[in-house]
Amino acid sequence: MSAMIRIEGLTKKYRLGQEIITALDNVSLEIAVGEFLCILGTSGSGKTTMLHIMAGLERPTRGSVFIKDINLSKMKEKNMPIFRRKYMGFIFQSYHLIPSLTAIENVSLPLIFGGAATKERSKRARDMLVQVGLQDRLKNRPTEMSGGQQQRVSIARALINDPKIVFADEPTGNLDTKTSSEIMGILTKKVKASGTTLIMVTHDLEIASYADRVIRMVDGHIIEDKRRSVISEER
Amino acid sequence: MNNLDLLQLSGNSLWRRKVRTILTTLGVIIGTTSIVVMLSLGIGLNEMQRENMERWGSLTMIRVQQGMIFDAEGNPLKEGKQLNDEAVDELRSIDGVLAVSPVYNFGGEASYGRKRGGLNLIGLDASSMNQLEFTAEQGRLLEEGDRNVMVIGREVINNFRDEAFIRQMRKGMGMEGMMSQEEQDPGELLNQRISMTINARENKRIFGFTVVGILEGERTEHSYQAYIPIDDLKRMRDFGSNGNSRSSNMVIMEGVAHSRVSTASSKRSATQQNSDDYDYILVRTNNVEQSQKASQVIKDLGYNTWSMADQLEGIEKTSRTIQAILGGIGSITLLVAALGITNTMIMSIYERTREIGIMKVIGASFHDIYKMFLTEAGLIGFLGGIFGLCFSYIVSYIINRLSAGFMNQGMVGGEASSISVIPVWLTLFAVLFSILVGLLAGIYPAYRAVRLSPINAIRNE
Repeated sequence: MSAMIRIEGLTKKYRLGQEIITALDNVSLEIAVGEFLCILGTSGSGKTTMLHIMAGLERPTRGSVFIKDINLSKMKEKNMPIFRRKYMGFIFQSYHLIPSLTAIENVSLPLIFGGAATKERSKRARDMLVQVGLQDRLKNRPTEMSGGQQQRVSIARALINDPKIVFADEPTGNLDTKTSSEIMGILTKKVKASGTTLIMVTHDLEIASYADRVIRMVDGHIIEDKRRSVISEER
Repeated sequence: MNNLDLLQLSGNSLWRRKVRTILTTLGVIIGTTSIVVMLSLGIGLNEMQRENMERWGSLTMIRVQQGMIFDAEGNPLKEGKQLNDEAVDELRSIDGVLAVSPVYNFGGEASYGRKRGGLNLIGLDASSMNQLEFTAEQGRLLEEGDRNVMVIGREVINNFRDEAFIRQMRKGMGMEGMMSQEEQDPGELLNQRISMTINARENKRIFGFTVVGILEGERTEHSYQAYIPIDDLKRMRDFGSNGNSRSSNMVIMEGVAHSRVSTASSKRSATQQNSDDYDYILVRTNNVEQSQKASQVIKDLGYNTWSMADQLEGIEKTSRTIQAILGGIGSITLLVAALGITNTMIMSIYERTREIGIMKVIGASFHDIYKMFLTEAGLIGFLGGIFGLCFSYIVSYIINRLSAGFMNQGMVGGEASSISVIPVWLTLFAVLFSILVGLLAGIYPAYRAVRLSPINAIRNE
């Protein structure tokens, strides 16, 4: 399998007042095309930092990230948003929808920035919302929807551009168990169907069990790297 | 990101913060209104002056006259060149000159039926009268080959008084009777015969003229004059000067502008005077600019000139200064409004940090963010401009209504001109300018929005 993402010797240090905090310490990792990788770790383990660096939202102190053969560290800051728009989708714990826009407008947003024609993008957004089961909520604003519904909108938004990689940061962090499993069901089904690489950060073992591969992080190091088959064997 | 989406998104964010948007826009409205109204007053003033000047004489006419040439401070420089046929030819050859007519001026006693009165005759080149900005209201103008005909101004009829009436006046019936005399119909004189009586030492001769046309316009330079072919006038003058000297040539004041002419002419009669010289020469050009240019050329040739266009130049310079001052006062208000826009936008960016971050994460380019915020600021400017303009029209209307009351009291009849005038260019200028101000005010906030780090925005709270 060819690698979708390859990270080499990634180090990230923050200055917090007088202290220098090492969030990532010389981490290397390869993620295959179509793989569902879960990064498991407690708060402060560096998992979110790693996600951000892989998505080009943050620059590493040292080391490099390759998406296919493109070196993110060498990419200009200006071109980063366009790159993200074309190749990446994002799902967040607190959904991060634009409160003033309806579900369909929120889902259309990446297409709007891409300059798509109004008619085409509304159709695509509508289709996507139907696929995540929100056909009755097209014109609702985020405040008029439940957490699970909002997260579905957010999934639709992440997938609207047919991204190569989807980054999910604690996607079920604000949801109850039942809704969580619904959301995870939709998400895994969608990414598997399209062969999209999914990278998810969580501290929830239950949620991690959906993944093909789970890496466990502590203090900026990867301390465990298991594939699903291995996990199931252990059970 | 296409422009329609851009407008929609920006409009949407403005609409979300209605009160603040409205208040900020109100600032621009007041700013735009103050600029437009101030400028409209300046423009109105200018037009009013121009109208007044046009009433007293055409802006495309130059009067080349005899007498001293004065420098800017009014000190005499030298004697102007003589006004003879050579001069007429010389003037005719100047660039931009449309028509030239030599003029004799002659005043005398006239009678019409049983009525008598003083009449100021102006003799000019009959063939060029139609090019000298005369318009006949009734009848026609003088034409080539005309003899013993006359074209008169509308007010000429009021010069004539019934003999009986004059006798009564002499008896001291009081001024009131005369003042309350009714306006007479100028058309009454058309095709009538007016006789001029010229006294030479012992002789007395009557020259008869048929009125062929009445000139248009009340209270203008022309309205008290009678125009006849120059050859007719020359004959009358020649007859007159056999006896009397040229002192019979009484110059009737033709409006305020001619005070210098009269002083000049009184000086002139003392100095050498060739009786064949014309009193003045009228030169007609195409437009005001050419008039100003030609006037300078004529001066450089060594003639003494007087033209409305020259006067206008000075007046326009003054009114430009006034306009600049008024516009400047207006701009201060708009400047304050611009600061308001900047402030509102910066506030809005603080509030929308998260939203801007999300947009950046899901693919809004720097350019998109920049455009979105500039558009918002520009929209505020645009709305302010449009509503400001509407408001300006209302204010302008009110000013004109109020001032019309005062003006009508001051002026005898005639339509009062507006003191606040909003021309089309000002309308366009106001809208474009307020958009521009909005955009300028938006540059810094937009730049800040672009610089915002998406990480801080999306980090889980």
